[in-house]
Amino acid sequence: MSTPVAVRPATEPATVKSGPRPVERLTGFMPLIALVALVAALTIADPDFLTQRSLTAAARTAAPLIVLAAGATLVVLCGGIDLSIAALASLSTVLLALWLPDLGGLATPVVIVVAAAIGAVQGTAHVLLRIPSFIVTLGGLSILSAVALVVSGAGTVRVVDDSPVKWLDLYVAGYVPMSFAVAVIVVALIAVVLKVTPLQSWISATGYSESAARLAGTPVDLVKIGAFCVSGACAGLAAVMLVSRQFSGGPTMADNLLLPAVAAIVVGGTAITGGHGSVWRSLAGALVVTLLRVGLPIVGVPSAYEQILYGAIIVVAVALTLDRSRVSIIK
Amino acid sequence: MTAEEVVTAPRRQSRRGASFRDAGPPVALIVIFGIFAALSPQFRSIDNVQNIVDAAAVLAVVTCGITFVLMMGSIDLSAAGVMGASALTVSLLVANNRNDNDFGLLGILVAVLLGCAFGCLSGLALVLLKVPSFMATLGVSAIGLGVATLMFAGVQPNISDAMLESWAIERFLGFAYLTWIAAACILVGWLIQRYTRLGRYAYAIGGAEEVLTLSGVRVKPYKIAVFTLAGAFYGLGGVMVTSQLGAGLVQAGDGYDFSAITAAVVGGTLLTGGRGGILHSAVGVLLVMVLTNGLVQVGVSPYWQGGVEGLIVVAAVAAAVIPQRRRNQVVK
Repeated sequence: MSTPVAVRPATEPATVKSGPRPVERLTGFMPLIALVALVAALTIADPDFLTQRSLTAAARTAAPLIVLAAGATLVVLCGGIDLSIAALASLSTVLLALWLPDLGGLATPVVIVVAAAIGAVQGTAHVLLRIPSFIVTLGGLSILSAVALVVSGAGTVRVVDDSPVKWLDLYVAGYVPMSFAVAVIVVALIAVVLKVTPLQSWISATGYSESAARLAGTPVDLVKIGAFCVSGACAGLAAVMLVSRQFSGGPTMADNLLLPAVAAIVVGGTAITGGHGSVWRSLAGALVVTLLRVGLPIVGVPSAYEQILYGAIIVVAVALTLDRSRVSIIK
Repeated sequence: MTAEEVVTAPRRQSRRGASFRDAGPPVALIVIFGIFAALSPQFRSIDNVQNIVDAAAVLAVVTCGITFVLMMGSIDLSAAGVMGASALTVSLLVANNRNDNDFGLLGILVAVLLGCAFGCLSGLALVLLKVPSFMATLGVSAIGLGVATLMFAGVQPNISDAMLESWAIERFLGFAYLTWIAAACILVGWLIQRYTRLGRYAYAIGGAEEVLTLSGVRVKPYKIAVFTLAGAFYGLGGVMVTSQLGAGLVQAGDGYDFSAITAAVVGGTLLTGGRGGILHSAVGVLLVMVLTNGLVQVGVSPYWQGGVEGLIVVAAVAAAVIPQRRRNQVVK
């Protein structure tokens, strides 16, 4: 896990602050600690857990969540939030299922591009109309769900010939599910692109202090729109993964991934106030959330507790990672 | 603008601008009603008007709750979860097919109190843990849904309590009892907003929290109280849905959170807080209901309902922000 405390304001050494507070130091490693603890606990509860088969299954389940969370992380890093990712993914599954017969192999890139465009539209609305991002994306969630319902006729769209998306069901080196590999590659790609271009500092600057970033000449508006665009594209890719696994598209298929995705981001330690965090953290967060999901039945907890757990995790993780120094009034 | 209004502006001055702005939603309501009445003969029938008002009952109660939260400048996404939990609670406590309970009114009271507890939880997370309200309430909503699923336990509780069932069926002066309950809630909400310290401070917190804190008001308890009050309204909303469905469902509150935000925003309550109120929201509720009902009568697929609401919210918020575009540099 690289980039633990990515770009702190450069004045860090100059100000005589006694380094990161203990809480900050703890939250920096929180996702890794949680991950290791979870694997250990699950192995103790059920020794069969550490077998290749169940790990492969867990990795396959995690893939769409990782992609969704990684995309939305960029928006959170800019200080916003994208609540429409799950609805957008649902709509994308419907579109993919509808377009596969006509477009064949082209359907996958087309769906991802369309999803990215929808994300960009939301970002533009957020930036130009100056509406808070959670309202834009909440409205987007509602609109996209409606479109998905209408387009699909409120039913499941079956995929008869799934050969164009079959490759996602293959295994790399016989063990690693292709979808998981793709998810990790996407995360790595985003991380590398951020690292080698000025984007990383632009995004952090936007998240840490938008007005300062604006004064310093950062293209804040474009950065934000770009973040929403990537978030949309990731939702599209997650939809492709879901379709390849379920052989169908549905207007509510991915809706229950919203909470896990938000939980993954905040458990990873990305601050909801923006600036602090990384996509790698969300990868770890997504794995933690998936393990919880897979692990609860193993430990013998009814899956109804899953929701309660997500709720508690979101509140606690946000409380731990929040950068309180920058917000005086919390609405 | 809002800051000065609360601190210095005498009431008369702010009135003139406000009355012009306040006239918008009612005028829109009349115009939209007129358009649909002209387009569809079914729409303008007395039966359909009764339908619209009756269908608005639950949304009106939920919107009452959310309005107080929005007045503070916070937001509440927990309605769906709280309503699910209270729906299951009440259906398991009144006469039903799952157990021998028959607590009647007491069961309803417990369900409302459960709503209060969830609201209080959101408020505590906001005030003590400093979690932004949309995150805190998103979490509380998930917790509520989980609790509801636990109580559901795979078997749907059908209620057989005569009183609760009669709420949705019996009519008084042409409207269902539920509608009168909603009207009572609006009245209570308006009285709280107008005449209690809680209501006045909710306004003030939305207008200028810093000023209020500096003038020595302890804001935190009031914030928690507002969320608790909102929770009570959601709890009652869950009870009302149970009365309509005759059964307790986990999905009792599905979509109400967003519809309520839509209604409040359309009615003229600003998301930034400090403006709007219960009566605004009541008009907003009618607007949303007339629009969704009218669109169906005109022949638009009911699946579009959510999409229409989404568009309205974005448009209404965008319109409200235009006057302050220059001031609001940073929008998260």
